Amino acid sequence: MAAEMTNEGSSTSRVKRLAWVIGSAIFVAVCLRVAFAATPKIVTDLSNVIALSLAFAGLVVLTHYLGLLSLGQGAFVGVGAYAALHIVNDFGAPVLWMPLAGLVAGTLVGAVVAIPSLRLPKAYLALLTLSLGVAYPIILKQVDGNLPVTLNGEFIAPSWTGIAENDEHIWELFLVAAYASIAIFLVQGLLRGPIGRAFIASRDQPEAARAFGIPVYRLRLFGVALSGGMAGLAGGLLMVPTNFNDYTHFPEELSIKMFALAMAFGGSRLISAVPGALVLIFLPVWLLDRNWVVEYGWIGFVKSEGFIYAALLLLTAYLTKGRGFMSLFETRTPKPALKPTNRRVTSVVRGLVDLDTQLGELEGLVAKQSASRSREEAND
Amino acid sequence: MSLFLQRTFDSLANGSAYAALAVAISMVFRSTGILNLAQGQLAMFSTYIALVLATGPSPYMKFSSNTDLIGAAWPVWAAILGAIVISMVIGAFTERVIIRPISDNPVAAVGATLGLYLLLGAFVRKQWGGRTMFLGSPFPQTAEDRWDIGGARLWHDSVGITLTMIAVLGLLAVLQRRTKAGLAFRAVTSNRTGSLLVGIRVSRVLMFGWALAAGIGALAGGLIAGEINVRPDMMGRLLVFGLAAATLGGLRSPVLAFVGGYLFAFLETMLGGYVSFVDSQVTLVWALLVLIIVLFVRPSGLMPRTEAWQQK
Repeated sequence: MAAEMTNEGSSTSRVKRLAWVIGSAIFVAVCLRVAFAATPKIVTDLSNVIALSLAFAGLVVLTHYLGLLSLGQGAFVGVGAYAALHIVNDFGAPVLWMPLAGLVAGTLVGAVVAIPSLRLPKAYLALLTLSLGVAYPIILKQVDGNLPVTLNGEFIAPSWTGIAENDEHIWELFLVAAYASIAIFLVQGLLRGPIGRAFIASRDQPEAARAFGIPVYRLRLFGVALSGGMAGLAGGLLMVPTNFNDYTHFPEELSIKMFALAMAFGGSRLISAVPGALVLIFLPVWLLDRNWVVEYGWIGFVKSEGFIYAALLLLTAYLTKGRGFMSLFETRTPKPALKPTNRRVTSVVRGLVDLDTQLGELEGLVAKQSASRSREEAND
Repeated sequence: MSLFLQRTFDSLANGSAYAALAVAISMVFRSTGILNLAQGQLAMFSTYIALVLATGPSPYMKFSSNTDLIGAAWPVWAAILGAIVISMVIGAFTERVIIRPISDNPVAAVGATLGLYLLLGAFVRKQWGGRTMFLGSPFPQTAEDRWDIGGARLWHDSVGITLTMIAVLGLLAVLQRRTKAGLAFRAVTSNRTGSLLVGIRVSRVLMFGWALAAGIGALAGGLIAGEINVRPDMMGRLLVFGLAAATLGGLRSPVLAFVGGYLFAFLETMLGGYVSFVDSQVTLVWALLVLIIVLFVRPSGLMPRTEAWQQK
């Protein structure tokens, strides 16, 4: 990860690289210390945080790189969890394959949802994913029944790790961390390369991107499938420490909470997925310690937790214009704003400016057939 | 045959609710380009307002000391009317205070509507708890209030709901075609910049649109409450069907969204009734499947393709 961030060995980037290496080493040391010293509950929570960070990273790719909205990330996680359990129980696959099954399932479902909705205005993706989020628990209840499905198999730490026999939770944490860091490493590389730049181009200037030969529709399709795959992988990883799944595990509320957190913490960096996952897991724990009523842990809504998430969403919308609080720490050149004082004049001037940009856009499109434009993205 | 007829009749009441939500959603979307995900929760909240107006002082309510303001219990129809008026004010207020400051950024706006969704849900749960409550129907609902047609029972209640909805949509059409406000609304819908330049007060028109949508939602909530009772999560399912129905109209045409509402309700009842492995919960999934197929085959919904793509 560190190597890709530098450009041609300038002195600042060398310092940066050193900082990254030292920071990562300290992080790993702290993780090891926590893994071996903390109670199993905390270790399991940490595994969940790491797995869910991946799902959040998928959401960050979608909202902040592609400018798309997904309100069903929880359902994608659930699909991954379902696939992970059933590939072991029904097909006898080794338990280490579980996350991969989740990855495949999440990618497929993402593609199925994305193919019809991305041809339409952006609102349709939000609509379909929301419907998926609502429908997922109902489908799962129908498919798996009311009782939880338990994993037919267990994770046993190899002897070279030196982990005691009844300390599987430590081994599970390592597995989850390994899978997640490989995935994040790959995705990070992808986003830093041409594909990441094309994502941003298709978000900010779809017309210009198309003029440069970027296949915007296919790119977005890839983005949604990638995001679904990351969520599915997260679902598979969640099943590593948890080992069972039922229809109450991934309700629509989870999707909405995840969306709220991704909106709030998402910047243009994948690392901003981590605070989202931390809050999701540890907020109910914290509330519980303060004698708030927590009915379902991080899965459902705590009674008053709805207020917290609502406030988070509204604050994100107003204070950061939907860009997320992490974006406040990033350097950006603000656009010069046109601000006459008289309100009525303002509205007319704004109208004229709008008209001007519209005419400019039209000029850019003269060479293109209007039919081909409107067919693909009428509403960017 | 009588069973088929019965199921068709049964779908009327649900269909009205889906249709009303779909109309509200497409009205907001086509004028502002914002998908109002809180539409269902707003309707749910309105239903609770109607409940407060109708039941008066109640042991379940924490602010029962305030009910002197409301006075004695209102008849159900008056309570629904009152809820509609209050909801319209809330809708206009929402547009002005929550949506307008960020309306130039669709991602932030959808985030804000989702925030509203959570806020209303949490507020209602805190204020009235999660338990089911009962608001009667404004139409006669006893066992005798029915017509027997071809061996099937057609309840006065569902006929009343359907007729009310059709009448409201008719009124809405008249409002849009015949009045100045409607003309302004249509102008803003078709070209916002242009209407700004000819001097239409766009912001006021948008506020009006939100108020109307909230009013329609309140009506839907109040009417369907006689059938499905009042709960904080009463609208989840309705919202999904409403969104699906709105999609059928390309999120733009209120008339097609209206038809779509009844169509999805019909489909729901028929699938639940005739296909043995589909129970009443799972019909939601099949409706979703139908929605995906429709989007695959005809992305513009039932709208003529050219028209759907011309409007931005």
